[in-house]
Amino acid sequence: MDGHPRTADGLLRRALRRHPRELGAATVLLSLHQACEALVPVAIGVTIDRAVATGSVPALLACLAATALLFVVLSQAYRYGARHVVTGWWTETHRLRVEVAARVLDPHGLRGAPPAGELLSTATDDAERAGRVVEAASLVVAGTTALVVSAFGLLAVSVPLGVGVLLGAPLLVGLLQLLGPWLTRRTATQQADVARAAGLAADLVRGTRVLRGIRAEDAAADRYRRASRAALASTLRSAGAIGAYRGATVLGSGLFGVAVAGVAGALALDGAMTVGQLVTVVGLAQFLAEPVGLLGFAGQKVAEARASAARLVAVLTAEPLHPVGAAPRPGPGALAVPAAGFHVEPGEVLGVVAPDPADAESLVALLGLRRPVTPGELLLDGADAAALDPAAVRARVLVEPHAVVLFEGTLRTALDPAGAADDTALTRALAAAGAADLPDLDLPVADRGRSLSGGQRQRVGLARALLRAPDVLVLHDPTTAVDAVTEADVADGLRGLRAGRTTVLVTSSPALLGRCDRVVVLRGGSVEAVGTHAELTGHAGYAAAVLR
Amino acid sequence: MTGSLLPVATPRRAGRVVWTQLRARPLATAATALSAVAAAAAGLLAPAVLGRLVDAVDRGTGSVWPYAWALLGAAVLAAVLTGVSTVLVARLGETVLARLREAVVDRALHLPSATLDRVRGGDLLSRVTDDVAKVAEAVTSALPQVAAAGLTVLLTLVGLGALDWRLALAGALALPLYVLALRWYLPRSAPRYAAERVAMGERSQALVSSLQGVDTVHAYADEARHRAVVDERSGQALRITLGVFRLFTDFGWRMNRAEYVGLAAVLAVGFWLVRDGDTTVGAVTTAALLFHRLFGPLGLLLVTFDDVQSAGASLVRMVGVADLPVPPSPAPASGRPAVELRGVGHSYGGAPVLADVDLVLAPGERVALVGASGAGKTTLAGVLAGALRPTAGEVLVDGAPADLRAHVGLVSQEVHVFAGTLADDVRLARPGATDAEVAAALRTVGADWALGLGLGTLVGDGGRTLTAPQAQQLALARLVLADPPVAVLDEATAEAGSAGARDLEEAATAATAGRTTLVVAHRLTQAARADRVVVLAAGRVVEQGTHAELVAAGGRYADLWSAWTARG
Repeated sequence: MDGHPRTADGLLRRALRRHPRELGAATVLLSLHQACEALVPVAIGVTIDRAVATGSVPALLACLAATALLFVVLSQAYRYGARHVVTGWWTETHRLRVEVAARVLDPHGLRGAPPAGELLSTATDDAERAGRVVEAASLVVAGTTALVVSAFGLLAVSVPLGVGVLLGAPLLVGLLQLLGPWLTRRTATQQADVARAAGLAADLVRGTRVLRGIRAEDAAADRYRRASRAALASTLRSAGAIGAYRGATVLGSGLFGVAVAGVAGALALDGAMTVGQLVTVVGLAQFLAEPVGLLGFAGQKVAEARASAARLVAVLTAEPLHPVGAAPRPGPGALAVPAAGFHVEPGEVLGVVAPDPADAESLVALLGLRRPVTPGELLLDGADAAALDPAAVRARVLVEPHAVVLFEGTLRTALDPAGAADDTALTRALAAAGAADLPDLDLPVADRGRSLSGGQRQRVGLARALLRAPDVLVLHDPTTAVDAVTEADVADGLRGLRAGRTTVLVTSSPALLGRCDRVVVLRGGSVEAVGTHAELTGHAGYAAAVLR
Repeated sequence: MTGSLLPVATPRRAGRVVWTQLRARPLATAATALSAVAAAAAGLLAPAVLGRLVDAVDRGTGSVWPYAWALLGAAVLAAVLTGVSTVLVARLGETVLARLREAVVDRALHLPSATLDRVRGGDLLSRVTDDVAKVAEAVTSALPQVAAAGLTVLLTLVGLGALDWRLALAGALALPLYVLALRWYLPRSAPRYAAERVAMGERSQALVSSLQGVDTVHAYADEARHRAVVDERSGQALRITLGVFRLFTDFGWRMNRAEYVGLAAVLAVGFWLVRDGDTTVGAVTTAALLFHRLFGPLGLLLVTFDDVQSAGASLVRMVGVADLPVPPSPAPASGRPAVELRGVGHSYGGAPVLADVDLVLAPGERVALVGASGAGKTTLAGVLAGALRPTAGEVLVDGAPADLRAHVGLVSQEVHVFAGTLADDVRLARPGATDAEVAAALRTVGADWALGLGLGTLVGDGGRTLTAPQAQQLALARLVLADPPVAVLDEATAEAGSAGARDLEEAATAATAGRTTLVVAHRLTQAARADRVVVLAAGRVVEQGTHAELVAAGGRYADLWSAWTARG
């Protein structure tokens, strides 16, 4: 939806199209920078040849001035070129990240949404890797430019040597890059072992208090020590592979240098080239590894960008969970799941008892539109919810799940995200939810409500739902973390604030059920019994579920 | 009080700790140092031979073969020494790092409860995760590179000096400029890097909270606000990152200037020396090539300076924790003691949370604690478990003061499933326990699902996600295996849904059978099953007796009970 590219390559092409100015400037400037880098050894050779070997002061001054100019162009080209690259790369990353967040937050939902952890890594790491295509594209051009300039420099000195170096350098870098995957394989186990030890340390420390409760600190420290030693042993094993790789790199470029210097030296000794030309050739042969390496690096980054772009496309173009639909007409707030024989009358407080938690979970997921709704499955004031817009349905039917999620901010913003209510209303909602022990509306609340106790979190979630005053309110086990004394108060407060408004309480708490107008027992996906709490206490299955 | 930080060592102390570790391995340390120096020196042979070759060309005589063989020898030598020193540096660095991180984790796990309550939660975790990772990364990738680059720079200057001290001096002209560039850059970049880390953390936080809470965002039609927060924080991080990079490119420009000054000085001084016949064209070539080869290592040293600095900052934070004393762990007690609270009071610095609590738990007795939120139930549980020291009164075990931690096992509402297999998780309570004992403990608490899955099932972070009641059942199974004489259960069943809560209550009853037990009860059925019920209000005991006595007495508890059963 929203016209996002439907393929990984399409997404990468769009990334390049979205930053024409950055990409253009970066490509030109970085190519210039690479060309200048290639010219530094040439400049050294020319200086030796024209000035040092001849003893001419004007030649020396001219050479030093020309080299100075070269350095100014070189460094300014990099300075501004790199800025453009990074601006393009990170701006694209930011845009992709915001697009992923917008897609995930879309009220119509996401079919087959990956878990939150995976979405987070898509929004951060994948966005960053896909955005990097901007950098890779300009590096490909810059690296090619450097190769071409070096080639001209070498061919101008000696055609056979130039051809040899131009063929040999890419071959050498290619061979060394073949070692990369070998090294990756050799070090993969080690990285996994180190990551395991690090993960274990974090995990044990997060559970310190739990460990303290059963005096398991020593056992935990021992367990970490073993993991740390295993990681060390594995690291020491792979150190040999890393040493071999670095040695091979040094040997490869060393042998290449020997060959170039040997041939160029022989030519120079024969008088076929000057001292300065010899220096130029040796210097250029040394330098060539840089652009070839750059091209290899860019190729690798493009491959990574494509893999990440594929994951981004999967999220950005995922099918919605609910189709776009019409807004519901205003109504008294009647709710029905006909197939289950489940009806909620307008204005009543209905208790729902589900001896199997799966039945409760399924009902709450349906009412909260957390799963697709089939036509005719759910009726709101007689209208088919499958044909209504999900955001509009949620505006009338509010579901507060059992696991309350609070967002970072203050108690005030946690209760009233929209900032629509005044303090009197907030305080009234808190009191009704039995949360009068939280009188300070400016109390900071950490993300996920971690700064509050489990019971406080649950009561703040309840207060938030009550404050919203929706046409239909569905609460799932709203008082499990609340003590018996407070629960009795909450049950009274709830009735007071919801008088005349449709309310569904999915619970097995006698304190809440006792104050419901009607109670239904849900078993195997349909309603098994209906009555008041007092009537149903005689019912054997009900007593087993509620009064046990 | 909350929000203080763990100690940080001085750089001198951190240095001494590392030095002590190195001194314990004198042979490895000496071999490592020697091989690193030799490898850097071998790298200088090639430019020296090239210089001689240039001289031969300049004279116009001689064969290329001796030079080619010498270059070949230099290349092989440099390659072998580089490989060997890489291995030795890694071996030594990683071994020292492993010892240090083990000490850090060990001390972190043994922090006294009082310290745990006081320090900011994130600080402890970041010491054992971020700081260890940062130092590890420095040891694995930065340390060998920085050591090699530093030695190369140093030995190149020595090499230049061997050619001609005036050429060395010319090259050294670049050094003050490098130092100036660094002194310009570091004070400007450090605060920005810190700001960048904070901004990135806030960005991740905004993303995580929106993604994990997406159902709640939908329920409250809060999408626009969350999208805006993500956009705003990601944009803020973007601006800071671009600013930092801009600064870095300015730094790069300053480094290029230093490079030019050094190179031009070598060439100009060489020019005069050759003209005066003090040196050869070949020597100047060697010097220029040597200096050109320095651009790479010098740039690396400067660019990694940030990493090295931040690794140093992490190291002193690690040593700060590793230097903490280890509190002695009490030997576990056995038996079935009586526990008595005598005139116990507690305050967290303000108004007292508990006052004049007298309570006796007879051997093997099960006491339920009932009261409203804020009545002091959790504080009382903490005092009994030895996690909190009472500010008034005393706690006696079998009539005598004792280290409560030796006697009491605590299961609180804080649930944690340890990453690993199910057996590993439960076995933390008794490392020597056999699979049969682990299975028996799980069966005791009714965790038949766990036996169905198999003891080898991976759970926790990276494994199967358990429901809140399942996680709490594991905690109870750990309690069974730890087998403490006294058990305290604080809201151990609170986070479960209503159906799960009942199963958990049965599991808790089974896990504490035969132990002297205090249960903070939320559901009154839990209280009804206890031997005795204690009602706490505003930090004081207001009613106590058996369930039947209290219902008959018609007090606060009786009111609650009649509301509960709906028969009132």
